[in-house]
Amino acid sequence: MADDSRYDKLPTATPLGAPLDWAWLRGARSEWGVHPKPGPRGLTMMDIAVGAYGEVPEVPPRRSMSPRGADIEDPQPDMGYILNRKSQVWAENVRELYEEAVARQWSATRDIPWGELRELPDDVEHAVCQLCTTLSEVEMIAADLPAKWMWRMNHDFLEVKMFLCTQIMDEARHSEVFRKRALANGGGLLKSRTSSTSLLRTILEAKTYTQASALMHLLGEGFVLDIFRQGELIAPTEVEKRIFRMAMQDEARHVAYGTLHVRYAVEHDPDVAEEIHAALDHGEEVLVDFGTQPDLSTSIAVLLAGGVDEVEEKGFPAQWALTVKLLTSYLARCERAGLSRLDRTHLPLDVLGIDPALIRPAA
Amino acid sequence: MPGIDSVAFFDAVASKMHDDPQAYEILGDVDLDLAVVMRRPDGSAFRVLIAFRGIACERVVELEPGDEERADCVLDGPLDAWAEMFDDIRSHGRATGRQTVNSLTLLGDRMVVRGTDPLGVDKFFRYNQTVQAFLDGAAGVVPADVS
Repeated sequence: MADDSRYDKLPTATPLGAPLDWAWLRGARSEWGVHPKPGPRGLTMMDIAVGAYGEVPEVPPRRSMSPRGADIEDPQPDMGYILNRKSQVWAENVRELYEEAVARQWSATRDIPWGELRELPDDVEHAVCQLCTTLSEVEMIAADLPAKWMWRMNHDFLEVKMFLCTQIMDEARHSEVFRKRALANGGGLLKSRTSSTSLLRTILEAKTYTQASALMHLLGEGFVLDIFRQGELIAPTEVEKRIFRMAMQDEARHVAYGTLHVRYAVEHDPDVAEEIHAALDHGEEVLVDFGTQPDLSTSIAVLLAGGVDEVEEKGFPAQWALTVKLLTSYLARCERAGLSRLDRTHLPLDVLGIDPALIRPAA
Repeated sequence: MPGIDSVAFFDAVASKMHDDPQAYEILGDVDLDLAVVMRRPDGSAFRVLIAFRGIACERVVELEPGDEERADCVLDGPLDAWAEMFDDIRSHGRATGRQTVNSLTLLGDRMVVRGTDPLGVDKFFRYNQTVQAFLDGAAGVVPADVS
């Protein structure tokens, strides 16, 4: 520490007589002089995870918003956190995903070539609008759900909260961009059914955060990620292509967090595996109801067929093949998360033609 | 001029990326080891690793058979499917319709995306716009760029 004799002469009271405390200037119990080194792209959250600042406790000693690594005065008020174990929220990739999310933000106003929209056949425009209606409805759950849990997370898990903030922003943008697309080309919002809300309520009402994360990140967003992939394939113009490609990137980050959160949770507390399985047992049923609801499935089939004329010959068979891919990806992610669903799921793997043996080695 | 199944071709595409950092700055950082496998009619295959870091293509390296499995993900398809994709890119300035790399791999009948780790495969989706922009850069590759 530099010469601090100068500090001895500092006033002990304000001009109004209130006592002053210069403890912060004389050094503290926190780590000083850690000098994180910026990388070529700047100073990242990985760069500053140095020394004590990078140590995330398994069970934080306090339930306050005091910054992890600071010289903290005790006792601190209790903020009412209920997620006070690292395994309840953490994922090993969360810092990287936060940085990635910040670096890959985009604007639904500015970054979509709205000027390239052109008049589409009536059936295709209706199908695009129906798909956008459904997506605009379901996307916001992935903002509402983290918001429900974030204020209950111990502040020592700051990086998780920061990442979830980016997810909330992502989902706001997704709701925005699909709403804009539905309205932008002479169409509008179309049907909204009860099965959508049933799925969303199942996710929102999960009893634990890890159950909620499995339902939302692994199951729900994994499903939507594949819908976005399909959207990019079936997009009638460059406008929708860009929309789906950009949204796909965001969604894949959320899935990556959820996959490794569930893995971390199961590795550090094997007892949670059963509660996650139970949530997914129900979630898969509700998702199948949602995925087979008439508006979503038929609008995608029409887009896959390029219109209604060949929806039976081309649209539905292509949709079936893509559904098999979608469920295969979901089951592979569950394996990667350390939560094999292959012997547990009620999804009709034989009917779908999914061979569990081909998925298991992927883990 | 070497064909698309050459390191020289992908080096030329990478140089297009380096020439336009602003375009990639908007898209954001990438941390991806992408392997490309082009299967020739004679049964041989061209394998190349394209390593993206930050907003740059850090290196392009030809791979030995089997080494592609160490990449985050692998784009694998017959040479003529790759040629069709690059022809479309050259004709239109960017991939159109079902010639985008996501569309080709989603249908999976001509080209697949695969990997040993589902999270590695998911990186292909996380960085998809950048990967597509990189491949679209081939529109500007002329014989003089490929040595």
